[in-house]
Amino acid sequence: MALRELKVCLLGDTGVGKSSIVWRFVEDSFDPNINPTIGASFMTKTVQYQNELHKFLIWDTAGQERFRALAPMYYRGSAAAIIVYDITKEESFTTLKNWVKELRQHGPPNIVVAIAGNKCDLSDAREVLEKDAKDYADSIHAIFVETSAKNAININEVFIEISKRIPLAESAGGTSGKAFKLGRQASESRRTCC
Amino acid sequence: MGADGGTCTSACPQMFASRAAHGRVNGTTAIPWRSSRRKPTLLEQLKGSECAWCPAAPWEREGARAALCGTPAGSFLVVRDSTTSVPSLLCVSAGGDNNEAVIDYCIKSTGTVFQLSESRLSFSDLAQLVLFYSLTRDVLAFCLSIPLWMYGVTEKTRDLSQLEPETWLCSPPDQQTDEMTQREPSNVMCSIQLTSTNGALCIINPLYLREHGDDWLTNRTTSAQSATQSPTNFRKERRLSSTRAWAGAGLLSKRAISMEQDSAAITETSGLTRALSADSPHCPTTTSETSAGVVLRRPSRDAASSPAPYRVSSGSLTPSTPSTPGGSNRASLELPPHGSPVPLSPHRVSWVEDGVWLPLPRPSSRLHPPSLELDSLSISSIEEEQEYQIPSPAPHHQSAHRLADKVIHRLSAVGQALGGLVSQKKRLTNRVQELSERKGSAFAEAVKGFVEMTLKKAGDHGGVTGSEFLQEVRSSLSSLRETLLDYPDILALLDSITDLNDSEIDSLVELSLHKVALKPVSAHLYSCIHTSRTNDGSFDRLQSNMSVLEKNGVEELGGSGGVGVPDSLTLERIQQRWTSMHEAYSPNKKVHILLKVCKSIYHSMSANASSGTAFGADDFLPCLTWVLLRSDVVTLHLDTDYMMELLDPTQLQGEGGYYLTTLYASLYYISSFRPRLAARQLSVEAQNSLNQWHRRRTLHCNQSRRSRNRRTIRRQACRDRGSQNSETDTERREERSGGDGESFDNDEEETQQQTEPEALQPLDVETHTPSDCNQRDEITSKQEERQMMCGEEDHR
Repeated sequence: MALRELKVCLLGDTGVGKSSIVWRFVEDSFDPNINPTIGASFMTKTVQYQNELHKFLIWDTAGQERFRALAPMYYRGSAAAIIVYDITKEESFTTLKNWVKELRQHGPPNIVVAIAGNKCDLSDAREVLEKDAKDYADSIHAIFVETSAKNAININEVFIEISKRIPLAESAGGTSGKAFKLGRQASESRRTCC
Repeated sequence: MGADGGTCTSACPQMFASRAAHGRVNGTTAIPWRSSRRKPTLLEQLKGSECAWCPAAPWEREGARAALCGTPAGSFLVVRDSTTSVPSLLCVSAGGDNNEAVIDYCIKSTGTVFQLSESRLSFSDLAQLVLFYSLTRDVLAFCLSIPLWMYGVTEKTRDLSQLEPETWLCSPPDQQTDEMTQREPSNVMCSIQLTSTNGALCIINPLYLREHGDDWLTNRTTSAQSATQSPTNFRKERRLSSTRAWAGAGLLSKRAISMEQDSAAITETSGLTRALSADSPHCPTTTSETSAGVVLRRPSRDAASSPAPYRVSSGSLTPSTPSTPGGSNRASLELPPHGSPVPLSPHRVSWVEDGVWLPLPRPSSRLHPPSLELDSLSISSIEEEQEYQIPSPAPHHQSAHRLADKVIHRLSAVGQALGGLVSQKKRLTNRVQELSERKGSAFAEAVKGFVEMTLKKAGDHGGVTGSEFLQEVRSSLSSLRETLLDYPDILALLDSITDLNDSEIDSLVELSLHKVALKPVSAHLYSCIHTSRTNDGSFDRLQSNMSVLEKNGVEELGGSGGVGVPDSLTLERIQQRWTSMHEAYSPNKKVHILLKVCKSIYHSMSANASSGTAFGADDFLPCLTWVLLRSDVVTLHLDTDYMMELLDPTQLQGEGGYYLTTLYASLYYISSFRPRLAARQLSVEAQNSLNQWHRRRTLHCNQSRRSRNRRTIRRQACRDRGSQNSETDTERREERSGGDGESFDNDEEETQQQTEPEALQPLDVETHTPSDCNQRDEITSKQEERQMMCGEEDHR
């Protein structure tokens, strides 16, 4: 089975729950026999998708405005970006739109974009309508889900959708040249196992 | 088999992965650097006879039970599901005559792996599972017993594929005795890795077990019997009880060199995948000689005839429980309840390994009980402790002597494992060193040329920036490696290293190269970076902004309330680590130290936080910045440049790459810090920096691309030696994501020929893409500036 490493970058305002989402995604795979990463800013998890194994290398970014200029160092070479907003904070949705713009201009070509409206457990305080967000996501062909890291809602789904959208690996050997042009070479290393 | 000297390796996930990548030979995953065997391995035989112990369709549970009734304990059959015909049940005889005497274990098969439902160990095929459980009981009540005649089977004597279950279960007595005498293993070393429930791990040197017995591992029952407790015993106990419930508990194996353990990736989904060595047929035959300690919880081979063969009692090791001193263990015999498939002990034999990869076993008198204090089995961590804990022992180390003692303990605990690894590493390093000094050899010339050329160049000449200079150095290193790998004896040496996966082997090559090539020039490189960074004003900016920012607390730097920062003691330790990071010449080693620093920062961050809070980058970056503001940023900047450019670029994606990026980002944040009004300039600088970044990555693609072709060749060469098997390639790009100081994946190993036809293409790419990118970046930088400004305005 081929193993592909997929670099996934997490973007979004501070406090929207980026790392909680990843934590949730990664925690159930916790196995004392597997070396964990040293902290929650960088985590990995491998999932099977069809006949491939996708190893997500998840790069968290600092969401504070002041660190914004640093983001390109992190999203370079990403196969996918998950942009997170907080459904109870309209402002975080505006930030999200800016990230989308920036990724389109400067992000890797063909980067898979996923939009996650987090904290959907707090629907009483909702400021961003699900429909609005969905429409926006559709307009930019992005994956869209509302998630709750707290209640573990739709967390795996985000990653499953990303797996689905990652272009299938070409046959070995032919990959490198193409991947290179996509600027994603490093994110798609492959190997087989079993 | 014994004559082969028992060159088996254990199977750890990495090994498994890398082996699997080599394609299958005879249905087993072949190790290309192994020469073919005279005799089929036990695993092959098991596979060949699968139709006998796992018959096809019309064979049901009852049939299996009936067939097993009355057979010796451990005899087994596998029953397939009647509808899906997937192997679903492992029936094991408990040695009795009635129907109760057969125990069933469910086999779960999820796609490509098989596992017993009670166990988390999974195997890529059924034969491996069976072989494993014939070596170690794990969750079973009995070890599986493979009919003795199997060991004597050669392809000539018997066509295994024709066997019937009945034949499988019967053991021709004549052959049995015959084989018994023949199977005296000449050299068997088994290391056993125990993983206790709290995640601590130890690797036990079998010689220790042979010498002292294994009672110290045993439980309350045994201890109750040992009413008198000697002081030694007590001490031993203390050591056991000091087992840390170590957060993360990630110790995997002796090959857990990587802090991140990327290559264990495959196992993350399926729990633990442990492949058994394909070449360990003599392992089960070791009882006569090594059962004294090697086999835990496993009936000795003659168990079949005598009903109470458990040498090691099963039971739990509770930290507070005293254990019996080594020696007689007959008193501790205890039969586990038949039919209970639950693990009886928190200690679990995760894998059994044999192999003779330690050239000379230590004299047993020097063997110590394994220390369970290992928090890392990596060689580098040991080296590191020696390196800078001894000179300045941390307060909790009472004396240097004590510490040295501990190091010895560690070394002996990890015993065979590290011994083998260290010696292999040394051999390679020495060999490379030798080659680099041998007059007239191509490699020596190349190294000499590289060193001279590098020393002649200053970083700042003719418009070449420090970064560009370092990038040249990096590509020279890569071609040096190619030269090195043209040497047949180096290849042979690498091929003889059977217990490392390919990326670890690559890492060894890279490290040995650093020693001969990078070490002589590193001081010069540093001075070049220094000049270059002084001239471009980076240092000035850093230093002047330091004074602006240094009074800021972590919250002012963007961290959330409640996030902790390192206390003065930790900070001091971090400073020491920065120093050793600076002193290391190998970028791999430096990154490894960086990860240690980051780990201790995380530790401080969550020290006061409510448990379960996971601090992500929102808090880590401010904390790291806080630490940097209290460190020697100029030196750190030098180190960052050095690592960034000289690290094998394929590493940049993983954990090491992430934290290196974060260090870079944080330094960048400090040096570019401006009052809000001057934000425009920040963007320009950001852009330049990003161009560099991009260039680096682009260069790296070409390198790793070329190397893939090379890899194919090496693989080819290996295969040609063994079997003429096909398909290879690219798959070795595992563990791309560095993450650690040791297991670096280095791609550029190669031989020249085959790349040539393809050489044009990468070159083509090489000439176009960077400039394209740069162009694009230049064009867009203006836009981005604007956009960034807008972005800021949007939020203010």
